[in-house]
Amino acid sequence: MLLEVQNVHAGYGAGPSILQGLSMAVEKGQSYCIIGPNGAGKSTLLKVICGLLHPRQGQVLFKGNPIHTLRTDQILMQGISFVPQDRSLFPDMTVRENLRMGGYILKDRKEVERRIDAVYELFPLLKERGNQLAKTLSGGQQQMLAIGRSMVLRPEIIMLDEPSLGLAPKIARQIFDSIQFLKQGGMTVLLVEQNARLGLKSADWGFVLDLGKMSFDGPADSILADERIQELYLGRQKPPRGGETA
Amino acid sequence: MTQMVQIFLLGMSLGGVYALMAAGLTIVFGVMRIVNIAHAAFMFIAAYITYFLFQSFGVDPILSILVTMPVMYLLGVVVYRLVFARIADSSRFAELTVLLTFSLALVIEGLLGAMFTNIYRSTNPRYATDAILFGNFYLPEGQFYATLISLALLGGLWLFLRTTRTGYAIRAAMQNRTAAQVVGVDVSRISTIAFGLGMAMAGASGSLSSFLFTFFPGKHWEWVAILLSLIVLGGMGSLLGSLVGAFALAVSAAYVSYFYGPTWSPITFFLALFLILMFRPRGLFGKPMEA
Repeated sequence: MLLEVQNVHAGYGAGPSILQGLSMAVEKGQSYCIIGPNGAGKSTLLKVICGLLHPRQGQVLFKGNPIHTLRTDQILMQGISFVPQDRSLFPDMTVRENLRMGGYILKDRKEVERRIDAVYELFPLLKERGNQLAKTLSGGQQQMLAIGRSMVLRPEIIMLDEPSLGLAPKIARQIFDSIQFLKQGGMTVLLVEQNARLGLKSADWGFVLDLGKMSFDGPADSILADERIQELYLGRQKPPRGGETA
Repeated sequence: MTQMVQIFLLGMSLGGVYALMAAGLTIVFGVMRIVNIAHAAFMFIAAYITYFLFQSFGVDPILSILVTMPVMYLLGVVVYRLVFARIADSSRFAELTVLLTFSLALVIEGLLGAMFTNIYRSTNPRYATDAILFGNFYLPEGQFYATLISLALLGGLWLFLRTTRTGYAIRAAMQNRTAAQVVGVDVSRISTIAFGLGMAMAGASGSLSSFLFTFFPGKHWEWVAILLSLIVLGGMGSLLGSLVGAFALAVSAAYVSYFYGPTWSPITFFLALFLILMFRPRGLFGKPMEA
């Protein structure tokens, strides 16, 4: 098992626990989509895994070693990257500087520049916009930059929190295509997605979170087909009339 | 006309020092969202160290920057670790910093009063009273040097922020704290360094003000009000803004002082602070205020 979350309880400050005994397991090379209602603890879970929030109880194991007491930079070093919900770019830095910050924990500057060039090959548009300030990019381009920035470290696991948020459907699909592309390159993908259908369609496995616990998990297509889950979490769909609704 | 240009030059020659003071305050606010009401009080610690070195050992006030900058940097590191690191996760961090720095300022004022009494002080090296002539115009020598040194230090700061790994991390934390954490910046360490840097700037500007202005412990309140007006005009958290704000207000104050008398000059800053907050709270270069 590449990543294991075991009986994790976590919350913010002195507030109540958002995660209440959550467990999950992630295998190498697979892609996972976490769905669930607002407040279920999806984002909190990702924050715990990448060390932005430390669990009150329980543990997180990466390749069998506990990582839940480590700092974010140490967890990044181990090979887990996180792209937060608001894309979290550095607005007044150029695209290239943002990518450079992606390699912040690497000491070898030349290596960082080489890796940035590799990211440019993956996303040629970023190369075109290399000297542009991040705040001047469109929403889709910003998401691309956020993903590209996390690629600089060549992580084993990439976690994305609602990558389609605020994007036009066409752009969102492009983003999902590039996520698919990363997975084909051998990367393990863990994503939280409000647009559950879009997310599950691109994933191998689905997790359904509710009230801080794992309420169901299984192959993504069987979750998509499960009527009970459809009713509870996906919103009932009209009977298809030849067209796609998602 | 000549007179107007002369006043402009006098204003500009103070602007550099104001900019240096404001830069320290801006870095601390930008990285940590600490509104450091004690910034001028810290400046005064450096001014008194400079005064002490000058009186006791005849050390040139400009040279004493070599002492005050590192001393204030270290003091900044200690203060940050002792006072602010502990409350970094509080949801009321911003309010707490205002109260904490307010009380820090009171403590510093009390200590300086006990050690140096409340008498007006200043250092008086030769260049504090001489002037340099440029054709029809003159500049007080002290102001001229102080502005040159301030600009050099600001240039150094700019280079540091633009070219070094730590500098990048500081800028990253100023622009988006979460993003900085996500790429692996140890924000707690960077905050400590940034607070230290802000204090080092306060150190240098304290040494320079020791021969430009007279000071006594309680006078830092007037200064911090002036500094707040500079960074609010420029836009809280914007270094370029604090620079522009400093020069703009220094020149305006020089004109007010000429037309209405020197006692009115500080009013320029306070009136500006009030008007900016009324009509453009984000300042010239700042981001829109969060609700």
